[in-house]
Amino acid sequence: MLHYLAKRLIAALISLLGVTVIVFLLLHLLPGDPARLIAGMNATQDQVDRLRVQLGFDKPLGEQFVRYMTQLAHGDLGTSARTFQPVAGDIMARLPSTIQLALLSILLASIIGVLAGIIAARFPNSWLDYVISSATLFGMSMPVYWLGLMLIIIFAVQLHWLPGGGKEGPASIVLPAITLAAFSVALIARMTRSSMLEVLGQDYLRTARAKGLRENAVVYRHALKNAFIPVVTIIGLQLGMLLSGSVLTESVFGWPGIGLLLVDSIFARDYPVVQGIVLIFSTLFISLNILVDVTYAFLDPRIHYT
Amino acid sequence: MTRGGPAIGPHAPSRKEEPYNNEMTPVWQGSARRRVHRMFVARAPRPVGISTFTYGSRINRSEFKLSCSISLEEKMWSHSTRRNNRLPRRILVIAALALVLITAAPAAAQTPTAPTTFKIAQSIDLNSLDPAGQTTVTVANMLQYVVETLYGLDQDGKIIPVLAKEMPDISTDGLTFTIKLRDGIKFHDGTPFNAAAVKANLERVLDKDTVSPGRAPYTVISQIDAVDASTVKFTLSKRSMTLTAALTWLVSGMVSPASIQKGSPAYKTVTQPVGTGPYAFKEFIKGTSFTVTKFADYWGKKPYYDTVVFSVIPEAATRESLLLAGQVDMMILPPASDIAALQKNSAVKVIMAPSNRAIFIAINNQKKPFDDVRVRQALNYAVNKEDIVKNVLIGAADILDSPMPSMVPSYCKAGAYAYDPAKAKQLLKDAGVAPGTQIKMNYPTGRFLMDAQAAQAIGAYFKEAGLEPVLNTMDWPSYIAMMTKPQAERTEDVHMFGWSSFYPDASGTMEPFQSSLWPPAGFATSFYKNAKTDELLTNGISIVDQKQRDDTYCQAQKQIWDDAAMVFLWNQRFPIVHSAKVQNIGYRPNETWYSLDAEPVK
Repeated sequence: MLHYLAKRLIAALISLLGVTVIVFLLLHLLPGDPARLIAGMNATQDQVDRLRVQLGFDKPLGEQFVRYMTQLAHGDLGTSARTFQPVAGDIMARLPSTIQLALLSILLASIIGVLAGIIAARFPNSWLDYVISSATLFGMSMPVYWLGLMLIIIFAVQLHWLPGGGKEGPASIVLPAITLAAFSVALIARMTRSSMLEVLGQDYLRTARAKGLRENAVVYRHALKNAFIPVVTIIGLQLGMLLSGSVLTESVFGWPGIGLLLVDSIFARDYPVVQGIVLIFSTLFISLNILVDVTYAFLDPRIHYT
Repeated sequence: MTRGGPAIGPHAPSRKEEPYNNEMTPVWQGSARRRVHRMFVARAPRPVGISTFTYGSRINRSEFKLSCSISLEEKMWSHSTRRNNRLPRRILVIAALALVLITAAPAAAQTPTAPTTFKIAQSIDLNSLDPAGQTTVTVANMLQYVVETLYGLDQDGKIIPVLAKEMPDISTDGLTFTIKLRDGIKFHDGTPFNAAAVKANLERVLDKDTVSPGRAPYTVISQIDAVDASTVKFTLSKRSMTLTAALTWLVSGMVSPASIQKGSPAYKTVTQPVGTGPYAFKEFIKGTSFTVTKFADYWGKKPYYDTVVFSVIPEAATRESLLLAGQVDMMILPPASDIAALQKNSAVKVIMAPSNRAIFIAINNQKKPFDDVRVRQALNYAVNKEDIVKNVLIGAADILDSPMPSMVPSYCKAGAYAYDPAKAKQLLKDAGVAPGTQIKMNYPTGRFLMDAQAAQAIGAYFKEAGLEPVLNTMDWPSYIAMMTKPQAERTEDVHMFGWSSFYPDASGTMEPFQSSLWPPAGFATSFYKNAKTDELLTNGISIVDQKQRDDTYCQAQKQIWDDAAMVFLWNQRFPIVHSAKVQNIGYRPNETWYSLDAEPVK
C-alpha cells in the first residue's frame, strides 16, 4: 500500500508540473494585456507600461516562467495582478466558501441520490421507479442557471423563506447547495439504481433471501456494500468537480467561491491568480482520485495495491 | 473513469469463478456466517448449486493481500457486521437532520435586519481599497463613503467644493492653483485634515513606488506647498485646466497621513482606508461584501443609516431578485430587459441616471472606402438610433448630438444625423461604394448596455443601406487587445466603442478624436486625423478663460461631427433601482449612485 501510494504521489507531482506548464503557456497565448486591463482605458500608455514593469509582465516569457517556478518551489503562488495582494491569500479567502458548498452539496446529493437509487432498484419498473427515473433525467438535463433562478424566484422573491444570494448567515448556503446538488443527485441515483439492480440479481443474495433474511437486511447489509463501489467512484469524482467551484452556481447566487474568482481572473488576465487556482484545483482533484482508489480497498477486501 | 485506479470492480473476473463469492461480503463473517451455516449446511436441504459451498476453505484472507493490517481488517469487518443492519436507520437520521436544517433555515433568514443598515447590491468585487489605486468608477463609488476628495460633483455634474472651502484660485498664467481648505475636519483616526495632509496624499499618488495606474491627470503638478494649515498651493509644470475636475476623482482622495507612512506596506497599497468621509471602513470580505459604519465626528451632514453594506453580486438577475426579495435596499444595473417591468412594479423605484458614457461605432478613417467623409456620413444616416434606443435599449439612453455627452463641461450641440436610408444610399453611390461592399464590424458582448443586440440591429441598418455587414464579437480582454492594435494591423472596418472619463472633463472626453492618441498610444481607435481638430483640442486644455475654452471645444465638437469621425450613437444611462420603502436616493452623472441622503419613507 505504501509503495503504491508513493507511486501515485510521484505520478501526481508530475501531473501537477505538467498542468502548471500548460496553463502558463496557454494563458500567455490568450490575447489581452493584463496591464492595460487593470489600468483601464483612461490610463495613459506611460502608466500602463510602468504597471507592466511593476507586475513583471515586461520580461521575456522564459524568464517569467523561471521566476514563477522558482516562486512555486518556495511555496509562493505570487502576487495578484489585480489586487496586488498575495495570490495565496486571495484564494484562501474564497476556498472555504467553495468547500462548504461542495461538501454540503455532495452530502445532500449522496443521501438523496443513494436512497432514491435503492428505492428505484428495489421496485424496478414500478411507478415509483418511473417517477425516480424521470426525476433524475429531469435533474440531469436541467440547466443549473435555470434551476438556480427558479429557486430564487420561488424561495426568496415569492416566499421570502431563504436568502436569494450573497453569503450572509448559514441560510444563504441552502439554495446554492440544492442547485449544485441537483445534477449529482441524479447521477448518483442512476448509478446506484443500475449497480443495485445488477447486484440484486446475484446468487448470493438469493441465498441470503433463501436463508430467511428480511428484505431490508438483504438490501442494506448484503447488496448495498457491493453495489457501492461504482457509486463511490461517482461521488468522489463529483466532489472533485464541485470543489473546483461551480462557476454557474456561484455566479447565479453571488456565492463568493473560487469558481467566480477564476472567471473574474481570466477576464482580467490576472495570470498569477488563474495559475494558482488551477494548481489548487488539480491538487484537489488528483488527491480525491487517490482517495477514491484507497476507499475501494476498504469497501472490497479483494482489492489490493502493490 | 479513475485512471490509475485498481483494475478490480465488483464484477471482476475472479468473481465469476466463485459461485457464491461469499468472500466479497464481509457480513458473512462472524455470527451471520454461523447463521448461514446453520441455515444451509446444518439444517436445510442443499439447493442446487450450493454443493460446493464450503466457506472455510474458500475464505483465505491471505489471498487478498490487503495492505491494511489484519487487525484493522477485523475491526472493519466486525464493525460492519455489527452495524450493517443499522445503515438505513443511520441514513434516515442524517436525512431527517438535513430536513430539519433546511426547514429551520427560513427562520434564520427571517431574522429582522437592523433597521439602520442600508444594503446595496453591486456588480464587482473591490480590487483595491486604495483611493490612489482606483481604476473603476464602481469601486471608487463605494470608497467615496469613506474617503473624500477636495472637490466633488453635484447631481448635475457641476464641480462643488468638498474638503476644499471654495473653488481654486487660479493664477492668470494658469500655473498656480491655490486652494483653501475647510477647518476642523478630522480623519477617522482622529488626526486632523490640513494642508500637510493634502501634500502628503498627492505626493504619494505621484510617487512611482505607489500603485496608481490613474495618476496621469496629476502629473502636471510639479510642486505642492502647504502655505498654512488650511491653504495649499499647487505649482504646475504646464497649464492644465482640467486639474480641478481631476481633483473630484478618488485617486486624489485624502487618507490620514498617519496611515500611509512612507516605507510602510500601506504606502504602496492601502488596504484599510482611513478617510474623512461620513462612514468609516469596517470590513471587507473578498468577493462578498464591503461594510462601512457611521463616523460620529463627521464634519458634514450626518447620514441616516448606521451601517452601509455593499454586497458583491456579479449576476444582474440575482441582484434584481435580492432587491425584490427585500434582501437589499438598492441595486445598480438590473438586466436591461427587465427595466420596463421594474418601472411598473410599485415595490421598487427605478432611477435612469444620466451618465457620461458615450457609445459609438468607431470607423477606421484611414481605411478605404471609409477614408471618404461621404461614406462615414452615410453610415451615420443609415442607422435609426431612435428606434434602437426605444426597442433594444428600452429607453435607457439619449441620442448623441455631439461627440461629447451633454453633462461634460464645454459641451455644445453639434448637429444631428437623422435616420435617412435614401440619403445614405446616395452618399455611398456618390463615393463610388458598390452595393454589397463588405463592412466588418466588431462588438463586445455584455460590456455596454445591450451592446450585442444593438450591434446586430446596426448591422441590419448597414445592410439596408446596401452594405454587407460581417459581425464578430469577442471577450472584453481580447476586445481591448483588438482596439489597441496599430492601424497597419487592423482587419475590421468599424467597431463598437464606448468612452467616458472618470470625471467631467472635456479634454479626457475628447481623447478618442486626438490623432496623437492613435493606438497603441491611446484609444483614438477610429484613426481620425484632422489638423484643425488636433489644434483645437491641444489648445483647449490650456486656455484659462472659461468662455474662450468652451468656444474652442465647441468648434472641435462641430468639426468632428461634420467629419463623421464615428457613427454617433447614444449616451447610455445608468440604471439604479431601490426599494420604494426608502427615499432620497440620487446619483452623480458619471455612473455613480449617491445614497448618503437616503432614509426610510415615513
